[in-house]
Amino acid sequence: MKKCIIIGKTNVGKTAFFINFAEYLGIKTFELEKKFPDGIEEYAKLSSRAAFAALVDEKYHKTKNIQSIVVTVPIGKGKKKIQLIDTAGLTDDIHPEIDVRKAISQTLSIIRESELILHILDASAAEKKELPSAFGMVDYQVAQFAQLKRGYVILANKIDLPDSSYGLKKIKQEFSGNLIIPISALNKTGFKEVKTFVIHNL
Amino acid sequence: MNENSNNYVNNDDNVIELLINGKITPVEAIIFFREIERHKNSVVKKANDEEQLEDIMMELDELIGLDKVKQLVKELQAFVSIQKKRQEENLLTEPQVLHMIFKGNPGTGKTTVARILGKMFKAMKILQKGHTVEVERADLVGEYIGHTAQKTREQIKRAIGGILFIDEAYSLARGGEKDFGKEAIDTLVKAMEDYKENLVVILAGYKDEMEWFLQANPGLRSRFPIRMEFNDYTIEELMQIAKKMVEKRQYQFSLDAILKFEKLLINNKNGPHYDKMGNARMVRNMIEKAIRRQAVRLVNQKKITRDDLLYIKSEDIAEVDEI
Ligand SMILES: Nc1nc2c(ncn2[C@@H]2O[C@H](COP(=O)(O)OP(=O)(O)O)[C@@H](O)[C@H]2O)c(=O)[nH]1
Ligand SMILES: [Mg+2]
Repeated sequence: MKKCIIIGKTNVGKTAFFINFAEYLGIKTFELEKKFPDGIEEYAKLSSRAAFAALVDEKYHKTKNIQSIVVTVPIGKGKKKIQLIDTAGLTDDIHPEIDVRKAISQTLSIIRESELILHILDASAAEKKELPSAFGMVDYQVAQFAQLKRGYVILANKIDLPDSSYGLKKIKQEFSGNLIIPISALNKTGFKEVKTFVIHNL
Repeated sequence: MNENSNNYVNNDDNVIELLINGKITPVEAIIFFREIERHKNSVVKKANDEEQLEDIMMELDELIGLDKVKQLVKELQAFVSIQKKRQEENLLTEPQVLHMIFKGNPGTGKTTVARILGKMFKAMKILQKGHTVEVERADLVGEYIGHTAQKTREQIKRAIGGILFIDEAYSLARGGEKDFGKEAIDTLVKAMEDYKENLVVILAGYKDEMEWFLQANPGLRSRFPIRMEFNDYTIEELMQIAKKMVEKRQYQFSLDAILKFEKLLINNKNGPHYDKMGNARMVRNMIEKAIRRQAVRLVNQKKITRDDLLYIKSEDIAEVDEI
């Protein structure tokens, strides 16, 4: 099964996208598989509402593990299963907490095994460099690294917020040469394009 | 980059460990990952090039005869590759001028060897494309002033990244001072300067004529330092070539066909025009003619067996008069 990984800095909306995109692809009950950096695995079954409430948070580094769910996408006349993976947020600098550092290294290892990479940037935070979700060095490096792969796309998130149009322009400038899709993970805008991208790169 | 820093990043687990222990930032980790990936790719690519070079040298070895030429090509290959290695280590290198003079009669393998050299230089990263552009006087020399330079430059442009092979090059000096051939030579010499890094020029032609040509143009001597002499094939070699050509076309000689073929070759060798229409070119023409004659012989036959189609008989073999 092909892996589709969602990455980005903390608080850019990875988990929100993960849940809402899975729901958009037809998932009603979430059968989550959680993998912690120390190797422990956990399974959970919950509704999308419950999942959203439990997992999406404005707190930084809420997600400290990899959580994945199997979704199906239509391919030609048939269907194909892929593993959608939500990850812990990346940082530019060395994080003081070992748990966060472990989570980040888990994310980086998984990037290398994934066929599809959805890289989320927070378009509304472009001007607020002090916010951890503002894009930075790690995003530029990820983009350079992921360019070596075929299935790489940047999702410019939170375009429902007023500050995002400037951020979107900035992203297009600084990450030019990459495919960039504006989305709102909350309102599910741009999801059709993301789905098309996923299908085309399977 | 020194050994240590290479070891430091040469494995993913190392990077992960450094990252977890807070020794490097995620940004640095990704840079290391990229380095590792790039290194892996370049190792694979290098192996490919080496394999290719091996194949090309094998292709050379499989050519019949040409012992002296093969030896020279191998020396050249060794020389160039060592100069390259020395350059990588910042050691002094000999200037590498790879333009050549090929001396020999038509049909002695000059073009074939030129093509192999092109591929070889490509595999060695001396030339970007490694293709061979074959031209002769008529492709280079024009009809009015300025026309020649333009035509010559056009051919050179086609050859950039590969080999420009000028057959019967001596004919460029044929008409003396006023001839446009001289303009072609001047344009060529200039282009060889301009595209020093990415063009190899080979001047080919009869031995005597090429020697005369070099005497008439002493300035060219140092610009074409590599000389290869292509001797006429022996009858034995020609028969081997014939056999190879026939088999490549999925035919077979019958025993008496072999004898007749050989007899005709010997006659031809002693004939007056051997230098112009002898050697492998003669062999090819004879085989092509034999194939046509076999077809004519079979076409009205009522029952044609597989063996009939396969075998060339002695009656199919005949002299060729024109080339
Ligand atoms: N306005 C807006 N807020 C969003 C959007 N996507 C996520 N958020 C908010 O951003 C915060 C972080 O989201 P989360 O998915 O936990 O981010 P993660 O750390 O990348 O997984 C939460 O408060 C979300 O409600 C969006 O498209 N628009
Ligand atoms: Mg999260």
